[in-house]
Amino acid sequence: MPIIPNSAVIIFSMLLMLLTGCTRGTSTCESCHRGIEAASASHPSCTSCHGGNDRVKEKDASHRGMYGRNNPADPETWDKSCGTCHRYQLERVQSNLMQTNTGMIKNIQLTWEGNDPRLFATRQTGTFDGAGRPLQLAGVVELNNLSGELYRKFCSQCHVGSETSNVLAASHGSGCAACHFPYNDQGTYGGNDRTIRGKLPAAASHALAALPGNDVCFRCHNRSGRIALSYQGLYDGNNSLVPTRGGKPGPAMISGGRNVVRIAPDVHHAAGMECIDCHTSRDTMGDGYAYENMYQQTEIACEDCHGSEKSPPRFSVITRENEEPVRESKRYRMQMRPGMEMVLTAKGRPYSNVFVADGNVLLLGKKSGRVFRSKVITGTPEHTIVGHGRLECHACHSRTVVQCYGCHTRYDKTLDGMDFIKKRETPGRFSETEDYRMLYPFPLALNQRGRISPVTPGCQTFVTVVEPDGTLSRNEYVARYKGKPQLRFAPFYSHNTGTRAVGCSECHGNPAFLGFGQHVVEGGTIRGTLICEKSADKPLDGFLTMREGKVKAFSAITRENSRPLDGREVKRTLALNECLVCHDKAADPIYRKRIDYRALDDALHRRLLDGNRSR
Amino acid sequence: MRWMMLFIAVFWMATGPADARGAENCTVCHRVTLTGKHGGLSCLSCHGNEARPSPDPASFAGKATGCTGCHRGYEGMAGHVMATRSSERDFVQRTYGRHDPAFFAKNCGECHVRSCLDCHGGNGHRVARPHDSACLACHKGYFTGAEFAGRAPREEHGRYQRGVEFQGEPFLKMLPDVHFEKGLGCAACHDMASFLSGRKSARGCTDCHRPDRKVLEHRIAAHLEKMECYACHSAWAPQEYGTFYLRFIDSTLQNQYRLRNNDGEYVKSVYLKTQDAPPLGVNAAGRVSPVRPEFIAYFTEIRGDNVSGAENRLLAAEWRAFFPHTVRRGTPLCDGCHDNRRRFLLEKPEERIYRLREDGMSLDSFWDRTGQRMVNGSFLEEKRYREMSARTPAYTKGYVEKWKSLVNRVDSSSSR
Repeated sequence: MPIIPNSAVIIFSMLLMLLTGCTRGTSTCESCHRGIEAASASHPSCTSCHGGNDRVKEKDASHRGMYGRNNPADPETWDKSCGTCHRYQLERVQSNLMQTNTGMIKNIQLTWEGNDPRLFATRQTGTFDGAGRPLQLAGVVELNNLSGELYRKFCSQCHVGSETSNVLAASHGSGCAACHFPYNDQGTYGGNDRTIRGKLPAAASHALAALPGNDVCFRCHNRSGRIALSYQGLYDGNNSLVPTRGGKPGPAMISGGRNVVRIAPDVHHAAGMECIDCHTSRDTMGDGYAYENMYQQTEIACEDCHGSEKSPPRFSVITRENEEPVRESKRYRMQMRPGMEMVLTAKGRPYSNVFVADGNVLLLGKKSGRVFRSKVITGTPEHTIVGHGRLECHACHSRTVVQCYGCHTRYDKTLDGMDFIKKRETPGRFSETEDYRMLYPFPLALNQRGRISPVTPGCQTFVTVVEPDGTLSRNEYVARYKGKPQLRFAPFYSHNTGTRAVGCSECHGNPAFLGFGQHVVEGGTIRGTLICEKSADKPLDGFLTMREGKVKAFSAITRENSRPLDGREVKRTLALNECLVCHDKAADPIYRKRIDYRALDDALHRRLLDGNRSR
Repeated sequence: MRWMMLFIAVFWMATGPADARGAENCTVCHRVTLTGKHGGLSCLSCHGNEARPSPDPASFAGKATGCTGCHRGYEGMAGHVMATRSSERDFVQRTYGRHDPAFFAKNCGECHVRSCLDCHGGNGHRVARPHDSACLACHKGYFTGAEFAGRAPREEHGRYQRGVEFQGEPFLKMLPDVHFEKGLGCAACHDMASFLSGRKSARGCTDCHRPDRKVLEHRIAAHLEKMECYACHSAWAPQEYGTFYLRFIDSTLQNQYRLRNNDGEYVKSVYLKTQDAPPLGVNAAGRVSPVRPEFIAYFTEIRGDNVSGAENRLLAAEWRAFFPHTVRRGTPLCDGCHDNRRRFLLEKPEERIYRLREDGMSLDSFWDRTGQRMVNGSFLEEKRYREMSARTPAYTKGYVEKWKSLVNRVDSSSSR
């Protein structure tokens, strides 16, 4: 009866395979890489991700045919590795702004007068635009002007498509690994595999991070808008390098020789929420369409969870088992199930961790498993003030808005600089100096939605170009924008949200919030006190001037439909102070309809303001 | 040879009266030409007698006898604060000096009037009235003066070292004082008589200006009675929040500090510099005045690779009433001071932006007076603050009038 023992052998070996995780244990990879962390329970095989040969013992033969050195998730090979199983995610990421950097490149072109109507990406990409039309993005390697150089030598370090190493607290892997195989501050492997321990560049561990933590976002989002800093209550301005820490510059150091000090954190951070608790996978990985700006890719808004002045949060019920929230919540501490009422994003798609239960809007911490209750503001007096209909939530609820004034960029062709896209040094190196940094107060202007939003310099770039012979072909040059040389501010959500809003008279009574910068008021003239080096009568920290009552904007607000407030709006904002001094509560009935300033002249007000000499 | 003799003769005549006069033998060796105010004097009128001439007759060390022989009464300048720097010495003695008795000598040697000539002209043979640049050689950075011309100190880090330089230092361009714009110099208000009498200036605002009662703010009695003019009319001022001196002894760690002037034993840095309207307090005369930190002083000593003693020691949290030289016709609006707690160092915990304690700086906030003190006056009592922020009928009336008059001026048709 030879059949029985044979079957027993087969069953036994199948059991053995199950117990040891299929090929795990039998692979030659692990005989060398002993102790290496399993990527995850669902990623048991070395070769299905890395390629190579796990049957031969000899190192070179075994490594032959591997997808890349140690990161198969790099864009060079991601279609052979991650993409074979995660095709839906890969195709989204290929059009994702963090991968294409189309927005960054476009905005650098605008700032640096690239004047190229083509749209670029980190590499040549065929994709679809936001409206679903086919779109060709040219490779940035072809952008042969100052903007291309700036992107390739300065900005391209923050690009999920390419590896960045040897940058303190800002190194990251490439491709999917940029987020899902996080680096530590030094970019070294610190796991249990002795053959690679301490080597760089490498992920801190071989364990896959299905849900990336804040530290992953911090790797890139610590410059420019600095939202990862502000969110966590960190500030890199002034660069004083004090207070010291153990005799070294402190209190904590990040890339570029910058120190960070503690400021008030975002209220969501203080409550224990992480970046990915608000941001959906479509925010971070894209939704398959290629956008030109991050505000177009981002699908979430404050109103999703907190409601707008008129409508409470919207939701839809999960009816099928294959809906995104069910699938995406697989790794959360609690899974979403059919029947649950999922809150919708501003683009009308369901969150995978925000739902309605017992009349409350609840948010599940994706990693922490903590449940947060969202306060809905719909219909409250503070949020139904007539005239505030155009305000973004963060116009009032930003605690601070980081503002870097005067960005002086020097491009020196007598020196060589690393081109991170061409991967070699080429003539020309960039360096930057700055004038003044501020957190509060912050200016407001109309954003791309026609709503009033904080704005921050974006950018006040003054360009100096040193030619190979040492002469300056440009000296503190201001680029042309919308037809004339002007500096630019950009609508901005600083990610330093507070429950306490900017006070009514704090904003209405201080023209700095309208864009006049820090100032003194002389009759009908608002005179800036921090002055642009190029012009004695223009503030560096603003974009409006008022001379004898004439309001004039001298800087642009970037993005379509954006603009500074005009004379009529400035007048209306300031006029409210006539009421605010007595009517200082949002619940006051006068704020339920348009203000009638003639009321100040009625008998009651005249009696109250007896002796008022003005007209 | 003949030509040479002729040349010397002509030269002799051309070099003028100073040398030709009297029976002095000085010029046989000293080829000196006197010009300027003293052009007509003999050498010995300043240098004493020929037997024992004074080499530096203007030096305070020699009581400036060369000058005070004629300029009687000016001996007192040697005891002036610009020469003694008593207040700076006192501050250092009770702070950094406790850790390093030589701190003052090491760090404060630069700005010190030692001689009449420090202000009155280069090498002494061209004595003149001081030009503003003589004042600004010392009155720069945190010492009142540079702001008069619209120059503010920059942050210490290399990233901020850029732009136009004045006397070798890059500065941040700010709105200058209106008196500067009109062409007035330091001497328009500050003269020798004021120095000698111990006053800071010869003229106050009201010596030239009468507050115009047509101006609403001037009609408010409390404003005129209780405030310095420059409490409202100072447009901005340099302010240092958290002045750090780091002392390095045989330490390679010093190389990690990319700060300017990082080549000596001491390196200065400042947690935060602002150039906006400074907070307000009460000065020694009992009037509301701008105040600023002088200084919120921290100290770290680094020996080798280690910190010696406590790190980031808070040595003083002292404020002073001062007169920023940034006078403008314009002022802040009502809310710039009224109901503005931060401006009076009464910031509430929930208003705090910088979290100093979390970084080990042993203060809650720079804008919270707790743990801080005024050196030449006091902080405005909280009761007075509440009174001035109360919405009394008089306040309301004035407030509405102020805003009405401003709003009426705004041209709503202004272009975008």
